[in-house]
Amino acid sequence: MSQAVLVFVALNAILAFSFYAVLVAGQLSLGQAGFGALGAFTAVALAPEPSEVGDVPALLVAILIGMVVGALAAVLLGLPTMHLRGVFLAIATLGFAEAVRILLINAEWTGGANGMSVPKVVTPLIAWVALAVVAYWFWRQGPSSYGRALAAIREDELAARAMGIDVGRHRLSAFVTAGAVAGLYGVLWAYFVRLLAPEDFDFTRAIDGLVTAVVGGSTMWLGPLLGSGFLTLVPEVQRALGVEAGWIRPFIASALLLVVIVFLPGGLGSFLPRVRVRARPTASGAGTDRPGLVARTHAAAGEPVVRIVGGNKDYGGVHAVRDVDLTVGSGEVVGLIGPNGAGKTTLVNMISGLVPASSGTFEVLGTRPGRTPVHRIARAGVSRTFQHSKLFPRLTALENVLVGAHVVSRPTFLRRLLWLPGARRDEAVVVDHAAGCLARVGLADRSSVDASALSYGDQRRLEIARALASDPSLLILDEPAAGMNNVEADALSELIASLADEGLTILLIEHNVGMVMKTCHRIVVLNFGEVIATGTPEEILKNPAVVEAYLGSDGDSPPGTPHTQEAR
Amino acid sequence: MQQLLNGVFLGSIYALFAIGFTLVFGILDRLNLAHPAVFAAAAFIGIELVTLGGVSIWLAIPLVAGIGALLGLVIERVAFRPLRGRPDAHFAGLISSIGLAGMIIALLLWRYGPDTRRFPADAFPATTFEVAGARVTLLQVAILAISILLMVGLTWLVARTRLGRAMRAVAENPRAATVLGIDVDRVTATTFALSSALGAVAGALFAMNVNSAQLGMGAAIELKGLAVIIVGGMGSLPGALVGGLLLGLAEVFAVQYIGSSWRDLVAFGMLFLLLVVRPQGLFGSRRVREV
Repeated sequence: MSQAVLVFVALNAILAFSFYAVLVAGQLSLGQAGFGALGAFTAVALAPEPSEVGDVPALLVAILIGMVVGALAAVLLGLPTMHLRGVFLAIATLGFAEAVRILLINAEWTGGANGMSVPKVVTPLIAWVALAVVAYWFWRQGPSSYGRALAAIREDELAARAMGIDVGRHRLSAFVTAGAVAGLYGVLWAYFVRLLAPEDFDFTRAIDGLVTAVVGGSTMWLGPLLGSGFLTLVPEVQRALGVEAGWIRPFIASALLLVVIVFLPGGLGSFLPRVRVRARPTASGAGTDRPGLVARTHAAAGEPVVRIVGGNKDYGGVHAVRDVDLTVGSGEVVGLIGPNGAGKTTLVNMISGLVPASSGTFEVLGTRPGRTPVHRIARAGVSRTFQHSKLFPRLTALENVLVGAHVVSRPTFLRRLLWLPGARRDEAVVVDHAAGCLARVGLADRSSVDASALSYGDQRRLEIARALASDPSLLILDEPAAGMNNVEADALSELIASLADEGLTILLIEHNVGMVMKTCHRIVVLNFGEVIATGTPEEILKNPAVVEAYLGSDGDSPPGTPHTQEAR
Repeated sequence: MQQLLNGVFLGSIYALFAIGFTLVFGILDRLNLAHPAVFAAAAFIGIELVTLGGVSIWLAIPLVAGIGALLGLVIERVAFRPLRGRPDAHFAGLISSIGLAGMIIALLLWRYGPDTRRFPADAFPATTFEVAGARVTLLQVAILAISILLMVGLTWLVARTRLGRAMRAVAENPRAATVLGIDVDRVTATTFALSSALGAVAGALFAMNVNSAQLGMGAAIELKGLAVIIVGGMGSLPGALVGGLLLGLAEVFAVQYIGSSWRDLVAFGMLFLLLVVRPQGLFGSRRVREV
């Protein structure tokens, strides 16, 4: 294998890592070619000549400049485009990259379309050292709390936000990482090919980088290297086998690309065993003594945790919630019942800040939902489950719960980079805590199963464990018993009671009226968006308005009958 | 005036290309990056039909559309259907269609070689018209007429027919569409066939307009097609039409007043600004996210 091939495998892998950096957070950016071009041209223009200061110092200075410029460009592009998703983000970043390329072609200092001549400094050793550093970075990033937060954003952005993850900041930092790595790629490329031209950073190059990252596997840190090795070597192998040049080579390369992507969903990385976080068998459970976790104190019993005055939500002409006044005291277990479409979920969506109210005052644990960003509300101690499970499907049960513990765990990524022992200790504490939460809902033996592979009832329980992991003051459960049998529902009642004993405030939406009656201190009944009754379970059972709302005015079965679930 | 007309002719081809692009995106939420390969393939096949088959260029256009539709079916079957239900279907579809596009281009290379191909000199009618002082060939008028006819036809099809209703249902919610008895696979395949047929006609017309076909012509128009569907609003058919015309005019006038080297910067700068300010495009509607 020639030296050039060795270098290109490393360089293509570094480019692919710059795509991997954002793909792990579920973002599709095609701006990396632009970051790389800006980094490379600025570095070559500003860095000292290798003939004056020596090869390696000159290259190091150039790399530093290139990475800083790439990262800065990523910030500049990232800030205005952070609200874009999916293909829109891809095309906006692509537009940026193309604009950069055209600017560089038309600028004087870059030598225009002819480019700049650059001394050749990069050797296979240098290229592979650079690659090793980049790969090391992503290897350490993966299982850190930061890496898990990025994975959570990729799997379900809304749920990640509800778990207290600042999605904007995480997405931007992933973007900046991509910019810096792309800048590194640009500089190495420039100091290897001797002639730096804007055409080296065109649309095709961006697509190549993306293809390499995805073929290698965008959820596995070795993926970009595997992809680069595969795609760079396929033409080499064909040449060695004596396959004629011309159309056959690109045909076979494209066909292989298609085969890999269709038959290997995780890319080539799926051949490698996946490293899963494992719970230690000695896990002590979610005790009170957790030195590595951020401590939280609940409000004193009876102090208002939720205060809503005149809460309203309109969707067009539909009044989903009308003039709701509700105060929930610390330590209370409040049931929220009502027929389908009564506005229960809308109300808790407003309390957890996911949906802004049309009018009314909302105060939850000192935050103002609707104005305070969702992740800050979660940070203040609000945690919830969703009516339709919003788990992170490709993460294991334990990893799901670890994401739930995001707001109470300490960041470990930077310490993991330096192998500081504290990081390992903190990780172990969080893993124990998460394993304890899983055990509490009866899923201890399912911890290493992917969330998507769990049964429906187990998924509901996993959501509760994930919500518990943030050590919440206010726990909102949206139809947690849906799909559970009576035995499971009873176990859930007991769990809720034990949580209430610990001082948690719980807001429970549930159609299983028997369970609500048994579990809650107080019940609020909604119908057509309005509160039609509040009171103790006994009062609610006797309330004629409630009976009418549930059964119609001439109903003949008692309101304790469990409501049938609508199937979804 | 001449510039204005040139812009309109060019823009109508962009629009035709983009409308096929956006049809698949609007209904299936997938970007089909094999679309530009169909565009290029159609140009070469069109030239071969006229040169070797002795077919008149008027007949070549429906033939090319048919071949495009077949290619569309292949693309759907090979590059998209196997990915259904995967969590990363979005990225995977991009990559698989790039792979298939590479195969199509490689086959073109095998059949036609790397050189530029042209229509025979006598293939075009020589008739020209004077419109407000500008010279217009019959071919250009035909290009405009065919583009507009196809776009109006497509809009009618989506808005008024049973097939169009099924397509919109699939766009809204494939699962619900299945429950209502719509054969989602068939609607999906038909959408791809229609989309690729339009892309193929655009390719043939483009080759006629500049009288040349190159292997890289699809890649060259790919970015512009993306720009057009973003400007018009992802999935919006009238948006793609307006966006295509705007881009054609902007290019022609940018070359005249700013210089050809800055031409693409104008387009991409505008694209970028628009995305930041109004991501749903001029005619798109923002999708409501469910909690």
